[in-house]
Amino acid sequence: MFKRIVQPKWLGSVVAIFIVLLILPPFLPRFFVYVLALIYVTSLLAMSLNLLVGHGGMFQFHHAVFYGVGAYTVALILTKTSLPMWVGFVAGPMAATIVGLFIGWFCVRLTRLYFGMLQISLGSLIWAIVFRWYSFTGGDDGIHGIRMAPFLSSLNNSYYFILVILVISLIILYLVLKSPFGSTLQAIRDNPDRCAAVGINVRRHQLLAIVIATFFAGMAGVLFVVLERSVFPDLLFWVLSLEIFIMCLLGGWFTFAGPILGAAITVALRTFVGIYTEYWTLILGIILILLIFFLPEGVMGYFLEIFKPQAKEAAERRE
Amino acid sequence: MLRVEGVVKSFEDFKAVNGANLAVARGEVVAVIGPNGAGKTTLFNLITGQLKRDRGKIIFKGEDISELPPYQICQRGIARSFQIVNIFPRLTVFGNVQVAVLSQQRRSYNLFRPAQKIAVEETKSILQSVGLSDKGGNIAGSLSHGDQKILEMAIALGNQPELLILDEPTAGMSPEETSATMQLIKRLARMRGLTILFCEHDMDIVFSIAQSIMVMHQGRTLIQEKPEEVRGNEEVQEAYLGGE
Amino acid sequence: MGLSLPYGPAELVSQLLVGLSRSMILFIVCAGLSFVLGVLRVPNIAHGSLYMIGAFATYSLSILFAGSSGFWIALIFAPLVVVLVSLIAERALFCHLYQREHLMLLLFTFALSLIFGDLVKLVWGAEYRSVSAPGMLKGSISMLGSSFPRYNLFLIFIGLVVAIALWLFVNKTKIGKISRAAAVDRDMVGMLGINVSWVFAAAFVIGCYLAGLGGALVAPTVSITLGMDHTLIIEAFLIVTIGGLGNMWGALVGSLIFGVTQSFGVLILPQFAIVFPYAAVVIVLLLRPKGLLKSVW
Repeated sequence: MFKRIVQPKWLGSVVAIFIVLLILPPFLPRFFVYVLALIYVTSLLAMSLNLLVGHGGMFQFHHAVFYGVGAYTVALILTKTSLPMWVGFVAGPMAATIVGLFIGWFCVRLTRLYFGMLQISLGSLIWAIVFRWYSFTGGDDGIHGIRMAPFLSSLNNSYYFILVILVISLIILYLVLKSPFGSTLQAIRDNPDRCAAVGINVRRHQLLAIVIATFFAGMAGVLFVVLERSVFPDLLFWVLSLEIFIMCLLGGWFTFAGPILGAAITVALRTFVGIYTEYWTLILGIILILLIFFLPEGVMGYFLEIFKPQAKEAAERRE
Repeated sequence: MLRVEGVVKSFEDFKAVNGANLAVARGEVVAVIGPNGAGKTTLFNLITGQLKRDRGKIIFKGEDISELPPYQICQRGIARSFQIVNIFPRLTVFGNVQVAVLSQQRRSYNLFRPAQKIAVEETKSILQSVGLSDKGGNIAGSLSHGDQKILEMAIALGNQPELLILDEPTAGMSPEETSATMQLIKRLARMRGLTILFCEHDMDIVFSIAQSIMVMHQGRTLIQEKPEEVRGNEEVQEAYLGGE
Repeated sequence: MGLSLPYGPAELVSQLLVGLSRSMILFIVCAGLSFVLGVLRVPNIAHGSLYMIGAFATYSLSILFAGSSGFWIALIFAPLVVVLVSLIAERALFCHLYQREHLMLLLFTFALSLIFGDLVKLVWGAEYRSVSAPGMLKGSISMLGSSFPRYNLFLIFIGLVVAIALWLFVNKTKIGKISRAAAVDRDMVGMLGINVSWVFAAAFVIGCYLAGLGGALVAPTVSITLGMDHTLIIEAFLIVTIGGLGNMWGALVGSLIFGVTQSFGVLILPQFAIVFPYAAVVIVLLLRPKGLLKSVW
């Protein structure tokens, strides 16, 4: 009746997938390795957002800002100072968390919609400053040719590094969601007033969730720099924030791994459609409209709906 | 233990509560009754902090709690159930109660141990005492209305409160469910040594389990007395018979 | 990146005028966005794309009808092109979603913005375009010791005309009053026997017309490029929020704040001119998170 936390069944398949992904690079053309790595980076970003949106019910409308802050921090440290790379790698998520805490502190005082609007305004302010501060951040052009330690100089090594960091991050996020804090966060999502009546300091819990989420967004930003060796203001732009929001929605935001699916689909679509036509945004828009009309619960939600009767039967048979 | 003195609360021009007084002693079972619109739920909302009073004092265990936010009032030892079912529909029944237990144990910030393994005994024992043990794994949103009202109560019990406030605990229940709930409340009062404050429309329940009854009418407290005195009081009879 | 020297009153007034004219374009666009937001309760992300289409259409029409009347013809017909495009999208797709949750409507407008953005690229290509103001609006007038560009004065005039027209529409016409009622309580409007779907369609089309008009008016003052939709929509969104959601006078107040702070930003720190209005928005939202004027809901 009270189900166990980790089903041995699916743990096996997850480990198997991980091993497959780990050994893939030598067998794939460079381009595919690159696309996979990009999917990993985007997945981490989407997963970090979903902690707040899907599991926390918060209107985190400008999450890309923390991604961009993480990326720019490591970029600036590696190009303007001679500090070792690892310092940059640690500083990125920390900077994102500090900015997240700062913005979050103002936002959690507000109810949902206004939380989102204030965040958009603060995030846009940061974008505007980065966009215009040509001498420091490279402005419109961004920063390119960022150096990395020798062991990350090859694409395959970067791939391994990114994959490992992604998996560790996912494990941490999973533990967080299954922890008492995770249950409390989901309860806050479902009924914040009831939580307050039950003695929970809703704002403080939301702030802690923001700290975690923005940390991983900053981490994703660092991984982006590892992969691309450049940064640009688009990383902080509202369009990206909306895109990751849609990835979570697409994948199914009440599930754990939904955002990964959403990120994978979006990045794959953009890359492969982009090979054939420069109008891939048009195609993306059309697909989105088709999904709105035909698959409102998101792709993973749709699959869960299909497979739920069988899963329920299987569970009943087991009991 | 709980004292409400001269509390007034208006919404624009409408005085929902206009001079309410209440005294609840430790270990007592106190009922608040009154016709619809008398201000009972508003009074409860004022006590537990969902609303802030315009005037008057609310004192719990010697401390003025009138200005505190709801979560701090709960942490001081007051828990409540709501008149309109206010549960966590997407969580399981177990999960619903566990939220309160985790909050009570100050473990809601705990990040790294699986929630399934924490506070299991306490949660199970609460479910058992309200009779929901066999429904622990069900999604709360799928329960019958009566069971959801009991879950309401169970969530409040999760806080190990000293004062349990129940807002119309049997509203919308069938007669069988009502009498079962009545027995449950009696048991809880005896077993856990709880102080209980509740409001009800069902006079059978009120007169069979309340040790002290406070009568409200148009936002005011008429009297607060032992049941026999209330039954015979003329003002009370007039309030109930004349009007609504 | 130095701070600029103190300016005399003539420069200040001149910049104020520039700011006001910029505000008027923003107001026209934001009034449309706010109107749709108020009635449909959905922020139309495609609003920026429609503005962009208005600007590009103005370019094409003024080339087509070369000569000084070209701009005037474009000014009339470019917004109508936008109306046509939005009407097609609304009747074919959007209207089927009115019963769905707001999130789906929001996503739909985002999908539309993606599609429109690429359609513009398809039709007009990626190069910068420009439109010149018609003869009678070129150049400046000398007044009060400094020169005021005629086009800016024209924009201020048009902005006031639109404001008055909108006020009359919302308060004096039947459709306007129904729209206002639908914004506050759509179920009630439905119960009065009015087809709510038609009200939504009308509101949407009016909002899109204003977006197109804004695009047409801005065309002579900026380079018309891809990406102007993205910059505009975030500015419009922020303006509508600081003004009060759904409140058209709020859109005016917000636009004034935005336009004027940007102009003064140009005087103080030209490189960071765009930062000033964003900072102003942040300050307003920190002090009044729900906007300066009451929201319609």
